[in-house]
Amino acid sequence: MLFVLDKSLSSEEGFADVKMYLTSPLAKFVIWGLLSALLYHLVAGVRHLVMDTGVGETLEGGKTGSKIVIAVSVVLIVLAGVWIW
Amino acid sequence: MVTNVTNFSRSGLYDWMAQRVSAVVLAAYFLFLLGYLLFHPNLSYADWHGLFSHNWMRIFSLLALVALGVHAWVGMWTISTDYLTAMAIGKWATSVRFLFQAVCGIAMFAYFVWGVQILWGI
Repeated sequence: MLFVLDKSLSSEEGFADVKMYLTSPLAKFVIWGLLSALLYHLVAGVRHLVMDTGVGETLEGGKTGSKIVIAVSVVLIVLAGVWIW
Repeated sequence: MVTNVTNFSRSGLYDWMAQRVSAVVLAAYFLFLLGYLLFHPNLSYADWHGLFSHNWMRIFSLLALVALGVHAWVGMWTISTDYLTAMAIGKWATSVRFLFQAVCGIAMFAYFVWGVQILWGI
């Protein structure tokens, strides 16, 4: 990721190269994978922050929390897929 | 108070806080970048380069990179102390765990230095 940032900022050609690489299906798939993992991690992280405030710490609260996290993550991941493709 | 030599800080509570704070910084940075990309569909080099030449963006990016180092370190440390244990590996657990943490630490420092070079080396 740092390598891509470095290349994209280096020059006009570098930026064009990065854009060209990003069109390949494999690159898109890798980025979609990374983004999905990050989105899930973000949503689950937010849930942890919520739980830090004491909300959703019971067994039932935990279960519903998990379901919400999975539902929200799936939606975001599908959206990310649409956006990338 | 239980203190452990290889953890990030003075106490577990300090780590706990550091991880939360770094997580919020990272979430803010990620959402900002995502928003920026969404609102600039066909991004030109000038826009992209322009964004990163603003000092506030450089500082924000560096802050995110530091937060990433902290967040990753506390996370990986937690994982390593949970799983790379004598129960799991046996005799060599401590050295394996120490090596694992050293590698993580070096990687994070290297990324940080690389990030500074990218942001200020344009």
